[in-house]
Amino acid sequence: MPIENKVGKLSDITKIIKDGDKVAIGGSWLGGHPMAIIREIIRSKIKDLTAITVVGSIDIDLLIGAGCLKRLMFSFVSMEAFGLAPNFRRAIEKEGLPYDEITGLAVIIGLEAGGRNVPFLPYRGPFGSDLVKYRPEFYKNIKCPFTGEELIAAAAIVPDVAIIHAVRADKTGNIQMEGTTGTDIEMMRAAKKRIVSVEEVVPSEEIWKHPEKTKVPKFQVDMVIEAPLGAHPTSCAPHYVFDAWHIMKYMEYAASAETFKKYVQDYVMKPEWEYLEAIGGMRQASILRRLAREVKFL
Amino acid sequence: MKQYAKDYTVGELMCVTLAKEIEDGDVVVLGSFTPLAYASYILAKITHAPNSCLLAYAAVDFRPFQLSFIRAESSATRGSALMWTMLEDLNSVHLKGRGDVEAISSIQADQYGNINLSVVGEYDRPKLRGPGGAGAPEVIKMHRKMIGYFPGHSKMTFVPKVDVITGTRYLIGAQERIKSGYRPGPIRYITNLCVMTKEERDKPFRIDFLHPGVKAEDVVSNTGFPLEVPSSIPETEKPTEEQVRLLREEVDPYGTLNFDFKPGKERLGYLKEMLNKELQAIGYA
Repeated sequence: MPIENKVGKLSDITKIIKDGDKVAIGGSWLGGHPMAIIREIIRSKIKDLTAITVVGSIDIDLLIGAGCLKRLMFSFVSMEAFGLAPNFRRAIEKEGLPYDEITGLAVIIGLEAGGRNVPFLPYRGPFGSDLVKYRPEFYKNIKCPFTGEELIAAAAIVPDVAIIHAVRADKTGNIQMEGTTGTDIEMMRAAKKRIVSVEEVVPSEEIWKHPEKTKVPKFQVDMVIEAPLGAHPTSCAPHYVFDAWHIMKYMEYAASAETFKKYVQDYVMKPEWEYLEAIGGMRQASILRRLAREVKFL
Repeated sequence: MKQYAKDYTVGELMCVTLAKEIEDGDVVVLGSFTPLAYASYILAKITHAPNSCLLAYAAVDFRPFQLSFIRAESSATRGSALMWTMLEDLNSVHLKGRGDVEAISSIQADQYGNINLSVVGEYDRPKLRGPGGAGAPEVIKMHRKMIGYFPGHSKMTFVPKVDVITGTRYLIGAQERIKSGYRPGPIRYITNLCVMTKEERDKPFRIDFLHPGVKAEDVVSNTGFPLEVPSSIPETEKPTEEQVRLLREEVDPYGTLNFDFKPGKERLGYLKEMLNKELQAIGYA
């Protein structure tokens, strides 16, 4: 038998992500989101998705602004120091986008339950939070069958597809990560199908040199896509930092729904290599890599 | 003899005050990128709390680093002793009750120890959709202390009852915390006006310290709920000259901690200035 090859092109994501799917999106804050895949979802006009994020930012805001979502599950969506997420706010405040706001721990524990193939996991959850009251489909007050202690059950989350970005993979789908992993690994365990974009696809010999860096095994991966700078404008720690300059530009475009359409035209609806040119090409990439390298300890 | 600084910003005063909450040996967690909290923890680590264990992003027990606007994640990652997933982090620190401090902020906070990061207005018809709480709604219950920082002490923030309870301290008094398996500790808010503390469910927040130049009535008139006002309230200890020097020259030379204190229309300009300095530091621009 030949050695399996899971390497696909960005345009192959439509073989896995279908209209109406529940898609868990990796990364956290302004770091490590699978942005090349996000842009390809928009280019491919995939719609009616339910996005699942723990701590999202521009990944979620872009998908909302481009009209790909019918529902959102999140614990946090913000552009952090750049401000509140503009499309996220508009969609909820003005257009009534349906959403499930779940505490961060409950999303993570829910994904872990999905990965363990159990319907819920108990923990000393957010007693007294209104979110428990508002979303009984995700939280239940339960009693410990052994001690009688009051606990909260977090419902299992089983995404149709998980998408994450990582540093490298071999063609069989062993995935190496070197920075912030967030909930990427839990999403990959819980989901039915998984797509990973990586900075580079390498021979398996390179993976075997550093097994401690492999965070997801090949049997939890369905497709690997080589996408250098594929997390841009978010970071891929510790290799490049988030692109503050592009995010400021994004915030300008996203200030109104009208100008945001132009962002999608100018940056998203073109091949990925043209996107990388548009954001400043090699020069910008080298700045972001250099910033990630030149850190100072005290 | 301590030499107190004559020239310091309110951000630096709050930063130094927050740093005092970190005790040597504490397990201290950072969530979202909040420059004031980062600067405080790193200052504590290089001064009075060298044995504290700092966590940020995936990094555990990271080396203290020079703060910058865009390099916090790669700095924490490159200087970490261990890398964790969020699940490992919450299993080991949060659910096990091992966290001491994870400073939070909030759109609204009330007299009961509730915070609101969800919406202003009705939940289904929000006037403002906030970012959501991430870990905050639960860590404020789980960690030993609940520490909040608020750069704009006003009745908009400190309301009698939050519009939505995103999260709550839930168990407040020492007895009820211990009984339910949590370590006892106060709710303490550090604001641009004062330090105030709540230690019992049925007792109000008490003004502990007033920042230099602030009067008790300034705090009372800017707070939307009743406060305990002791007859004599000490002044918040000012930053020392050495603390200000450390912050400006070592910990935070780009001035990230003052970002939250800039008025809305000055923020973008200040941000661009900081970013330019970062580019210059690596030989670009």
